[in-house]
Amino acid sequence: MLTRGLFDKLLWLALLVLAAALVLVVVRAAGSSESAGSKVLDKAMERAMTYQSRVALIRELYGPVETLLQAGQDQSALLKLAEIEKTYPGEAHGQILKGSIQARLGAIDEAVASYATGVKLRGDYVDKENPLSRRTEIGRVVESGLQTVSARLAANPDNRTAQATMKQLYYLQSRLAGGCE
Amino acid sequence: MNWRDKHLWLVVITGFLAGVLGVLLAVWGNPENSGICVSCFMETSAGALGLHNNERMEYLRPELLGFVLGAFASAALLREFKSRGGSAPLARVFAGVLLIVGCAVFIGCPIKLVLRLAAGDLTVITGLLGLVAGVGLGLRGLAHGLQLGRTQQDPSGSGWLVPGLFFLLLVFYFVRPGFLLQSPYGGAAQHAPGLVALGVGLLLGFLAQRSRFCITGGVRDSFLFGLRAPLLWGVIAFVGGALLVSLLTGRFQPGFYGQPGAHTDLLWSGLGMLLVGWISALIGGCPFRQLVKSGEGDSDAGLVVIGMLLGGGIVQSWGIAATSSGVSLAGKVAVLSGLMLVVVATLFLREEA
Repeated sequence: MLTRGLFDKLLWLALLVLAAALVLVVVRAAGSSESAGSKVLDKAMERAMTYQSRVALIRELYGPVETLLQAGQDQSALLKLAEIEKTYPGEAHGQILKGSIQARLGAIDEAVASYATGVKLRGDYVDKENPLSRRTEIGRVVESGLQTVSARLAANPDNRTAQATMKQLYYLQSRLAGGCE
Repeated sequence: MNWRDKHLWLVVITGFLAGVLGVLLAVWGNPENSGICVSCFMETSAGALGLHNNERMEYLRPELLGFVLGAFASAALLREFKSRGGSAPLARVFAGVLLIVGCAVFIGCPIKLVLRLAAGDLTVITGLLGLVAGVGLGLRGLAHGLQLGRTQQDPSGSGWLVPGLFFLLLVFYFVRPGFLLQSPYGGAAQHAPGLVALGVGLLLGFLAQRSRFCITGGVRDSFLFGLRAPLLWGVIAFVGGALLVSLLTGRFQPGFYGQPGAHTDLLWSGLGMLLVGWISALIGGCPFRQLVKSGEGDSDAGLVVIGMLLGGGIVQSWGIAATSSGVSLAGKVAVLSGLMLVVVATLFLREEA
């Protein structure tokens, strides 16, 4: 007959055995470099590798555009971007490069719209430490844009293009300011 | 007002320190205006545990662990730890999810609302009005008989479970098991040094347990007791501390546009905080207070915390969380649905007179 006292003693014993087993399992796993479980679960490593692959793919994909840009062939670079966009629609990097070219050509409204679209798609471009960061470049465009576009708006408050650009500028300004996003 | 009341001064000191440290945590590395933000911390911690797939929002925030474990330490040391619960458990889990929905649409919990205001972010005005209105409506509902069920002493000891879970998460924080994720970039990659953040969390959790500091509690008590409410003075001290350090560190940038982690969908900011205020009044405290109460053995608050963690995953996975570009359709639908649920609860969960 299993009395309550004996049952309780068995439960305490089971608790001790389970605790000892837990410690043993953890200590053995920590001492072993070939723990199959940790390999399966190392999501952080997988995540880092995926990200690096993405950066490498972007550099390869948009390499020709960068080359054209360095050669000062902005129009050809825009055409190349349009060509890539057909294969990879909605890719943020293309929008950022487009913004960069448009800013160089002085098309501020279009540049701001492209930058805003790119940053909305991927916030990497406004990070301080990111291999894809374009923070300084975007910050410069936002700073000059806020002055020129607000002057245009002051002269003509009903200018819808300027209103839309101002909204995008505030968005970019907010993203550059930081926050938990 | 009894200025010789020790409890009043404890609340004021807690509020002031929370304001000072809330801004300093941002100076030390946390995202701008998010030195302390329970909803942001819940979202990033949910991401770290794999509950959503936003790669920029994954970090097990040590402050969050500190709040619960600091409150646990305080309650245990001063013999106030009491395992209690049993009041509408499932409703509280849903309340926790909806708290985070409201916060995510506003972009921040009531504590962050104050920190944003103290940094000069004028877009929070409608959020503030919404929060106050929500607490007022919640109080009105309680006055008209809304009853979630009575909290009782819990001999099963379930009040230990949430402190136990957070202790396990603290072990994870130091041991770094392979499944724990951490964003290399984005908002979650910005953080104060781990031990500093944990220390601040433990200190504030300890003090908040002693003082019962709570933002929505301060608003509630001001409705009930006016200027005699110690919690109201705690909130005022919190605003003062945050404003002082914002000014001293050059972080006070008054304005409406271009504020960090803010949008200008003012109506939705107001509605998000209306939801948060209303629910907080019904369940007895803001998200921060729920963490502290769960640390002192309140399993009802513990279920809210579990709901908040779940909510942290849901708002990111379902696209409910607002961004600087505004509030998404999913966010608008979620806030309106949440408000409908609270109205239905207020209508039908009434105790017969």
